[in-house]
Amino acid sequence: MAIRKSISILDGNTFLVCDDRGDVDPSPSVPTGLFSYDTRFLSTWRLSVNGERLHALSVDDIRYYESRFFLVPGEPTHYVDATVSVIRDRSIGGSFTEELSVLNHTDAEMIMTVRIDMGADFADIFEIKNPQAKKAPVQAIVEEGRLRLRYRRDHFHRETVISSSAPAQVDAEGMTFEVRVPPQSEWQTRLQVRTLVLGAHERDFRDSMRLRQARSPDELDEQLRRWTAAAPRLKCDNASMATAYRQSLVDLAALRYTSITMAEELVAAGLPWFMTVFGRDSIFTCLQALPFTPQLVPATIGTLAYGQGSRVDDFRDEEPGKILHELRYGESAGFEEQPHSPYYGASDTTPLFVVLLDEYERWTGDDTLVRAYEFEARAALDWVDTHGDLLGTGYIWYETRNPDSGLVNQCWKDSPDSISYRDGRLPPFPRATCEQQAYAYDAKIRGARLARLFWNDPAYADRLEREAADLKARFNEEFWIADGEYYALALDAEGGQVDALSSNIGHLLWSGIVEESRAGRVAELLLSERLFSGWGVRTLATDCARYNPLGYHVGTVWPFDNSIIAWGLWRYGYRREAATICQASFDAAEYFHGRLPEAFAGYPRARTTYPVEYPTACSPQAWSAGTPLLLLRVILGLQPHDGHLIIDPALPPGLGRVELLDIPGRWGRIDALGRSRTTTDGSPAESTD
Amino acid sequence: MNDEIRAFFVALPSRGRAMLPPRVRGTLRVDLVNHGSTDHWYVDLTASDQVVVNRDVVAADAVLTTTPAVFARLVRGESPATAVLLRNEATLAGDARLILAFRRYFPPAAGTVDPRESARRRSPHGQAWRERRRAGTS
Repeated sequence: MAIRKSISILDGNTFLVCDDRGDVDPSPSVPTGLFSYDTRFLSTWRLSVNGERLHALSVDDIRYYESRFFLVPGEPTHYVDATVSVIRDRSIGGSFTEELSVLNHTDAEMIMTVRIDMGADFADIFEIKNPQAKKAPVQAIVEEGRLRLRYRRDHFHRETVISSSAPAQVDAEGMTFEVRVPPQSEWQTRLQVRTLVLGAHERDFRDSMRLRQARSPDELDEQLRRWTAAAPRLKCDNASMATAYRQSLVDLAALRYTSITMAEELVAAGLPWFMTVFGRDSIFTCLQALPFTPQLVPATIGTLAYGQGSRVDDFRDEEPGKILHELRYGESAGFEEQPHSPYYGASDTTPLFVVLLDEYERWTGDDTLVRAYEFEARAALDWVDTHGDLLGTGYIWYETRNPDSGLVNQCWKDSPDSISYRDGRLPPFPRATCEQQAYAYDAKIRGARLARLFWNDPAYADRLEREAADLKARFNEEFWIADGEYYALALDAEGGQVDALSSNIGHLLWSGIVEESRAGRVAELLLSERLFSGWGVRTLATDCARYNPLGYHVGTVWPFDNSIIAWGLWRYGYRREAATICQASFDAAEYFHGRLPEAFAGYPRARTTYPVEYPTACSPQAWSAGTPLLLLRVILGLQPHDGHLIIDPALPPGLGRVELLDIPGRWGRIDALGRSRTTTDGSPAESTD
Repeated sequence: MNDEIRAFFVALPSRGRAMLPPRVRGTLRVDLVNHGSTDHWYVDLTASDQVVVNRDVVAADAVLTTTPAVFARLVRGESPATAVLLRNEATLAGDARLILAFRRYFPPAAGTVDPRESARRRSPHGQAWRERRRAGTS
C-alpha cells in the first residue's frame, strides 16, 4: 500500500489527522483520527460513492483549522471518469464540521449512494503509542439523524455525536445517503462531529466550567487576524526569514488552547503526540516568544503554579515545590495507569519557572504577576536546594521512582540513551546533567532580583546570590574536563564526569554559569565540525560512541536547542557565532516552507545539501515555532534594560535589512532596525536606532 | 470513614494558610453525596490569616462533588484530587484554582519516604565524594 500524505487541521488540543482523501482508516498504532483532550473521538471516517473509495485531485490547506479536498471516485490507476466529483470542506473549532458536496457533471440526473463509515475507538493517546485493548466496550446509539458513540468506564464518560443536515439512514457504523442529483447540479450535507467530555449531570465539563467551546471559522479567522496584528511586524530582504516568521506566529496561534485552570490560552507542545501542557516546552516557548507574544506567559505561569507539586508521590515523581512535566486529560491519566495527572518527572522545569517569571517582568514591567506568584517561586527555589538535591551535594540530581512508566532521563533530552559517557557507557543513577545546574544558577540570580525589587526581602536576595556564586565556582571546577577543555554532559552518582561532548554546553552560556575565560573555548567547540553540521549544532558530537545522525537526542539537530545556544553565544558576546547558527536555521526553515520541525538529521550539510527531517518528528511543535522568534531577538540584539529596550544588531552577512516594528514591552512599542553587509567577510553589522 | 473526613475538616483551621499561596481567596464547598443525602462542608479561605470551616449555607466560588468514599481516599493521600477529577469520580463547578490550591492540604500516601533518604542510602558515593572534596578544600 502506498504511503499517503497525512493532512492535519487543529485548534489547540483538538485536531484531526487524515489522509489526502480526507479519510481516516482505523489504526490502533498510528495517531490518525479526531482527537480532543488526549482521546480519539473518531478512528474511522471513510467516504465512498456507489461503494467506491475516492482519490484526491488536490488538497487545499487553507488555514490551520480548515482544509478542502477535491476528489473523484475510483483508484488513481484507473481511468478517471470525471462525471462525478466530490468536495469535502472541513474545519475544526472545538467541534469538527464537514461540508460534503457531490457534483454531477453530466446532462442527466444521477442516483448515487453516498456512504460514510464512522467509528470511534476512544483510544487514549498512550494506547496508540503502546496498543492495548479497551477496558470497556464502545456503544453505538442510532438516533434520529444522529449517531452517538459512547464510551463509559465507571464514571469516565466520552461521547462522539455525529449529525447530518441532510436526511440520512443512520446505522451503528455510519450514515448512508441515497441521493438524486439533477444534471449539472450538486447535493450537499453538513456533518457535525461533537466531542463530549462528560462530567456532572452528564454535562460537558466545559459547560460546567464556563470554558470556551466551539468557534466558527469566521471567529477563528478574526482571532488569528488579531493575534497576528498584535505581534511585531517584520520587514526584511530575506524571503525565508519572512516566511518562517509568519509561519511561527500562525503555528503558535494554532497550538493555543484554553487552560482549564486559568480559563486563558496557553500553547500545547506539539502535534500529534504532545497536544497538552508540558512544563519545559511551555516555558521555553514563552521565553522564545516573549518579545512577540508576551500574552502567553500569564496563563502558562498560572497553570504551572496551580499544578505545583505539594507532596511526595513516587508514582508521579512529585515533590513539594516541583513544577510539572506533563499534564494529560485522558483515561490512562485518570485511572492512574499512566502518571500524568500531572507527572513531575523533570528536574529542570522548576528552576526554569523562576527564570520565566523574571524574564517576563523584565520585558513587560508587569510586577503584579511576580508578586502574585511569589509563594510558588520561593517554593521552586527551595526545591532546588532540598528535594532537587537528591544526594545533598549541592547539585540537582534526578532518578525516577516510577520504574514502570516514569522517565529515565528527566532533562530535555529525555530518551533513554541520551546521557552517556564518551565511550558510550550509560552512567548509573542518580544523574546531574550540566544544563540543569546552569538553570539553577540562573534561577538563583533572577530570584535574587525578584526578592530585592518585588518581594521586599533583601536578605533572601543576598543569600540567593551567595549560593549562586558558590554554585558557579563548584560547577566550573567539577564539571570542567581539563584535558578535553569542555564541560561534562553530567556527573554520575560518584561525582565522576560523564564526558560526552554535547550541545548542552550551549545552554550553559545562556544561563551565565560559564566562566568568562572559558566562553571562547565553548563557542569554538559549538561551531566546530564535531558539533556543528552546517544546519545547526548537533545534540551529540560526532566523536562520541553513541553519535548517530538519526539518533533522537544523540546526533540530530534540534531547532529549539539551537535557538537557546544562539541566545547563549549572544550573552557572552559571540555575535558572529550566534549569527552563523541563526543563518543556518533560517536556511533550514526554507526547506520546510518556513516551519521548522522538531528535529532533523545530523548529517554534514555538504553531504545532504538539504536538512533531512527526523522520521517521526512532531510538527507543528511549539518550541520549534518559537525558534525563529528567538533567533530574530538574537540577531537584533534585543535586551530589556531598566525601562527601555537595548537594540544592538549583529546580522549574518548577506541577510540585508531586517526591521522589526512595534515590539511590545514596558516601553510601549518600539522598532528595531538592522542591516548586514552584503559581503561575506563577517565584518560587523551596521545598525541604526 | 466519616470520622476521618470530619477530622480532616476540623483540623484545617489549626493547619492554617501557611501551605496556601496568599493570593488564593474564596470559599470552596465540598459536597459529599451518599445514598441520596448530601453533606456540605464549607472551607472559607476569604481571610488572609485564617481558614474557617463551617456547615452553614453560604455562597461558594467552587464546588467539589464526590462521595464520602472517594473523599476519604483523598484525605488518606491514596489518590491525587486531579486523577479523581479526570476519571470523573469527583466533579467540579466554578473556579478550578480553588480546588487546585486546596489540594495542598492532602497528605502523601501512608508509607511514603523522603526520596533523598533512599537515594543517599543507595548511592552513598555521592555523599562520600562531596565530603572528600570538602576535606580536600578546607
